[in-house]
Amino acid sequence: MDGLAIVTEGLSRHFGELVAVDRIDLRVEAGQFFGFLGPNGAGKSTTIKMLTGLLAPTSGRMQLLGMDLDLHPLAVKRQIGVVPEGMGLFDRLTGAEYLHFVGQMYGLDAATTAQRAAELLDFMQLADRPKSLIADYSHGMQKKLALAAAVIHTPKILFLDEPFEGVDALAAGALKALLARMTERGVTIFLTSHVLEIVERLCSHVAIIHKGRLVAQGSLEELRAGVPAAEGAKLTLEEIFVSIVGEEGAVRPSLEELSWLM
Amino acid sequence: MADVVHPLGIGQQIGLIARLRWRIFRNAIRQRGAKLELLGLILSSLFGAFFALGIAFGLGAGTYAMVSSRHYGFLALLFWAVFVCWQVLPIFFAGFSTQFDFRNLLRFPLSPSAFYTISLAYGLADPMAVSAVAWLAAIAIGASLARAELLPAMLLACGLFAIMNALLERLIGSWLARLLARRRTREILIAIFILLMVSLQFSGMLLERWGRTLAPELARIRPILQALPPAFAGQAIASAANGSYAGYALGLAGVTAYGLLFGVLLWQRLRAQYRGEDLSETSTPATQRKERAVVSPETTAFLPPTISAVVMKEIRYLRRNSILLVNLAIPLVLVLVFSSRGMHFHSSGGRGGMPLSRDWLFPAAMGYVLLLMMGPAYNCFGYDGRGIQTLFAAPIRFRDVLLGKNFVLSLALFVEAVLTAALLTLRSGLPRLPVLAGTGAALVFATLGQLVIANWSSLQFPRKLEFGSMRNQRASGMGVLLALGVQIVLLAACTGIFLLGGWLGNPWIPSGIFAVLAVAAGSGYVASLDPLSALAEKNRERLLEKLWR
Repeated sequence: MDGLAIVTEGLSRHFGELVAVDRIDLRVEAGQFFGFLGPNGAGKSTTIKMLTGLLAPTSGRMQLLGMDLDLHPLAVKRQIGVVPEGMGLFDRLTGAEYLHFVGQMYGLDAATTAQRAAELLDFMQLADRPKSLIADYSHGMQKKLALAAAVIHTPKILFLDEPFEGVDALAAGALKALLARMTERGVTIFLTSHVLEIVERLCSHVAIIHKGRLVAQGSLEELRAGVPAAEGAKLTLEEIFVSIVGEEGAVRPSLEELSWLM
Repeated sequence: MADVVHPLGIGQQIGLIARLRWRIFRNAIRQRGAKLELLGLILSSLFGAFFALGIAFGLGAGTYAMVSSRHYGFLALLFWAVFVCWQVLPIFFAGFSTQFDFRNLLRFPLSPSAFYTISLAYGLADPMAVSAVAWLAAIAIGASLARAELLPAMLLACGLFAIMNALLERLIGSWLARLLARRRTREILIAIFILLMVSLQFSGMLLERWGRTLAPELARIRPILQALPPAFAGQAIASAANGSYAGYALGLAGVTAYGLLFGVLLWQRLRAQYRGEDLSETSTPATQRKERAVVSPETTAFLPPTISAVVMKEIRYLRRNSILLVNLAIPLVLVLVFSSRGMHFHSSGGRGGMPLSRDWLFPAAMGYVLLLMMGPAYNCFGYDGRGIQTLFAAPIRFRDVLLGKNFVLSLALFVEAVLTAALLTLRSGLPRLPVLAGTGAALVFATLGQLVIANWSSLQFPRKLEFGSMRNQRASGMGVLLALGVQIVLLAACTGIFLLGGWLGNPWIPSGIFAVLAVAAGSGYVASLDPLSALAEKNRERLLEKLWR
């Protein structure tokens, strides 16, 4: 297990009769920028929730940084940061107050928290509204704040559920650079996004989940190698994704069905 | 051109929304753990219906008696009662009902008039409005039983009065929503409300001293009261009973004129909402000064960092939640009101009509403070909303969260109790030492004992509450019933123990028993933290789901 940041074995989650995640075996190496892809309702957010301790699995094991999440939940949580679906912000605090709260919850001393919070707010371009409550932030601003909160304690693994959704292009560019720099320093980033161009540009490794099952996993080159293509053609991630998910029985919506709209 | 071939009529739109709300309700009770919720809802609805029908019976009987004995002048009092209840009680009850935010409908192609009518229709479907309409029907039935020929006149007058009330209630509700949306105006309103409540407590004293002098002054405002809608409704009925059709028409015209006025004002208010009024919590960025973010490392030095973080967050939430601030102020104000009858107490018994001696008043006031203050503890995550994710994602034991929340509530309770004690001491002198000691120990016992159950209730029956708003303040039905049950049991137990001391003739016996109970409750509280922490982990999905919505 040396060098592995995330390992899951037979990880499953059922909601009544619905199998949201079905026995997935993930292996993510430390320092990887890992993209976790899948169509809507495939089980991406459910997997992230399980990996971050927000949702109990029905069965299976999870190891993060060599520690079993079930056995050492606090030790694992100290090493990870998360931007969950819905962001989980206390929206009646200001941005600075929220970062200070999170810093203390992760055991940072007040001075360190204050300094990092100020720097993060500056970087995220949120510093000019110190008195605004989070409830009055735009969606993109809330995303940036959630990301700031996820990194304030310098986690070793960062889970990001759709981190760029609603974030403007300028800020998104800076965030991508920041995340890339973090992976260079050994931080593992586990990211879901529906914008495949972003994943293709940032991620070195990708897994694809469909109807709860892991249908592909590996580096982009490994995935390309597994998909037939015309000689000399370099498939994009979108083409790989459509090809793999399509093979798994996903039907691309037919435009003819919406003829009344065209 | 969009394919909207047949725009829906207002009736169809109201029906659509009714079906939507019914489906939301039906789906909610299908969820896990919803059976207890439904039971709580049924019980509270039955209680409410029983209460409303009781009042309806009283009003009907009163009307019958007045009309039979030809005391028509008193009929206006009944209309005043309905009017005050219809306009005032929804403000207090708004918090306990899950109201539909009609602004959500504005994304659909609704005309302003449809928006207006739908809002009004649902105003009439509100439980308080339904009760008030039932009361008006009871008045009409009572009058008609006494004199059957009055039925048409009663129906018309009561109908117009109901419409006027519905319009005014909607108008007040929409203005309150507007004013409470902004932090600054909300604080001003809360301050006015508290000042009014405090002022009220002096009214008894002022009337006692200046009552006779004030009587002629008060008589001067009678013409003003007579120009208000309930007086017009009462005048219309009295005139109809006396056979004065001109008087009847004048009374109806008065009610109708008020209805039209409120209708126009409500139109303006809803029109502003229709145009997309800004109801954000703080001012817009354009009005803010550019300041660099300054993160002041506020902590409580004597607490561990995680508990300290929760405490600071809770205090900030408390400061920004006007509804909770009012809840904090109300016990003190009510104790002021109840103890301000200008009466003097002595240690053995009351006089001047006050049934409580000082020795009973003190524990009774503390019990009352406890009763009002502990309510929010039974749904202590209600205002956290999606922030609950942060608590579960953080590397902390959930007991720290409970400790932080309980600490802030206990601190507020302690301050409230000290202020109440100081107030009562100023008014009636210090109670005897055994009473003081017994009350203190009882307070510790009842607080710690309740916190154990309240924490469990918060984890078992979470319900998201809307922050800083009058609406959607209702905790889970089971949570409310549990709180009520526990408080009744505790009140009975504490009263019994105080009575036992009196019966045995030893005033120190309650102190001893309460001290033992307080130690037991404290031990129970400490012992409960780890199991409750485990319960939080077990229930995290339910908490996340319930507080997410």
